[in-house]
Amino acid sequence: MRNDELGRLALAALIVLGMAVVPVLVSARPANEIPVESVEGNAQLSAADAAEWDDVPAAEVPLSSAPSGLPDASDTSISAVEVQAAQDGEKLYIRMHWRDPTADRNVTGPRGFADAAAVQIPVNTSTHPAIAMGSTRTPVNVWYWSAEKGTEELAAGGPSTTTSFEQPAVETDVTRHNGTYTLVYSRPLASDADNRTAITMENNVDVAFAVWNGSNAERSGRKAVSEWYHFPLGPQPSGPQHQGLLWAIAGIAIVVVVAATGFAIKRT
Amino acid sequence: MSSDANAYDAGSGEDQQRLDLADGIDHQVAMVMDLNQCVGCQTCSIACKTLWTSGSGQEYMYWNNVETKPGEGYPRGWEESGGGWKSDANDEREPGEIPSKEDYGDAWEFNHSEIMYEGDDTPLRPKGGDPEYGPNWEEDQGAGEYPNSYYFYLPRICNHCTHPSCVEACPRSALYKREEDGIVLVDQERCRGYRYCVEGCPYKKVYYNEVKKTSEKCIFCYPRIEGEGPDGEVKPTACASECPPQLRYVGFLDDQQGPIYKLVERYGVALPLHPEYQTQPNVYYIPPFAPPQQDTEGETLEVDRIPPEYLEELFGEEVHDALETIQREREKVERGGSSELMDILTTVNNEDQYRLEVFDDA
Repeated sequence: MRNDELGRLALAALIVLGMAVVPVLVSARPANEIPVESVEGNAQLSAADAAEWDDVPAAEVPLSSAPSGLPDASDTSISAVEVQAAQDGEKLYIRMHWRDPTADRNVTGPRGFADAAAVQIPVNTSTHPAIAMGSTRTPVNVWYWSAEKGTEELAAGGPSTTTSFEQPAVETDVTRHNGTYTLVYSRPLASDADNRTAITMENNVDVAFAVWNGSNAERSGRKAVSEWYHFPLGPQPSGPQHQGLLWAIAGIAIVVVVAATGFAIKRT
Repeated sequence: MSSDANAYDAGSGEDQQRLDLADGIDHQVAMVMDLNQCVGCQTCSIACKTLWTSGSGQEYMYWNNVETKPGEGYPRGWEESGGGWKSDANDEREPGEIPSKEDYGDAWEFNHSEIMYEGDDTPLRPKGGDPEYGPNWEEDQGAGEYPNSYYFYLPRICNHCTHPSCVEACPRSALYKREEDGIVLVDQERCRGYRYCVEGCPYKKVYYNEVKKTSEKCIFCYPRIEGEGPDGEVKPTACASECPPQLRYVGFLDDQQGPIYKLVERYGVALPLHPEYQTQPNVYYIPPFAPPQQDTEGETLEVDRIPPEYLEELFGEEVHDALETIQREREKVERGGSSELMDILTTVNNEDQYRLEVFDDA
């Protein structure tokens, strides 16, 4: 077999491989999805440094300044947070991991602001609230952690309406190594309290993230935020329609390429 | 009702139109301070501190302070710290800064116990090294050269502004202006300590309590003016009632029979501090007079000791008319005439100074 024939065969094989693999990759992680690992009952996941987190897939979530209208709102300093999630049938665990070289924990004085982070989910998981703290008709739950105040659970129905729950159902654990925070929120999936999200396996759950760098005077609406992501907790379709279409196109392409290649080889 | 009051009422329609109360406010509490009577004794500061800011996290706070002018004041450089509004349209705020702890001056701990109980014979002094600033750091310093140096005292509280930029600055609407009397308050339940109010107030009269994690400010002694104290009596603010020379007038700007309305609206001799901040304060000042300058021989010169341009910097260009009006009325009295304005400014009757129950039946 001559060299050019080998080349043609290699090219054909590559195309066939590409057609086969690309649809698989496309279906691996739909846009803005954060996988939720299902694990056997394992309380270790509530610990930020638990080794079990090594086996949980992570999603890189980009952050940008929230358009709040507050002074210097566009001046935020954290550009991304790595997010992992898991559930054990009893609790949902969300782990945030972000770099912030300045530890603003024991802040003092009128100019001292503490580092903080938050997770936002809709109160009703079948709704898709406005990203900026929801609205009156589509309220959100906020799980808030501050290096100064610790854990708070909040409900909000629009910007600047956050109201604390007297007894937070969410717990946090945080560690800091080499200028990086690792924070785990854990909360029972079930809830029957007003304005507290009941997390069931009936719906996907929208989720958004926020991080504040205290030494940059970030607080309130001056914060780095994500857009809406979602946890695929609801029943997932066996295969989306576009996936079938891609496979059909790929199949036709394989047949055409193989036929054309064989035909070309035969002619030479 | 006297004929004078009737005559006054006849003009009240026009006067009422000039009054610019905040939207949704029934009445506006207000205060006038006569700077010519202030002796800088700080009794007002201590009365306020004892009553309202003796708690944890409030050590550095003086809701009422008295500073020497000219001077940097408390917190240091507050006049250059931004805040307020860009124009009298009150639709765009001027960016501001949060003062540093050093600019307020740390609360000093003194060596009382060492001296009193431990036999230490060192002088009474702050512990922990020499302080570098404090709320009355520049006392009596002023400006000018001998024999024409000058200074005056400026007592300051929250101005309970008609257009409070602190209220507008709060992203949580934790600050609000009370409907019944326009007092500006911080809802301690709503406040999350973001401090946009601290930077938004051009007078730097909102303070952050780092123990409570909320911002706090002068409440115009509302329990006192409501008569909610132990004896159930309506009383003026503590800073006013404790003032040895009784230099303050406390009441409502829209009480047309009261001294505040007359001093501010009728005679135009009580002026807001830094009107260019555009918040429309409801604390007003009778500007200070001082003896004229002297030459080196001790002869009196026809030159103002306190530069009028400095007073204009503080109180706006209306200060010149205010000083002229007071001077004219004073001369009228000196000639044997009568002057309602001078009667108000020289009263020693508290009932003329404090009128807080005029709207109770309304």
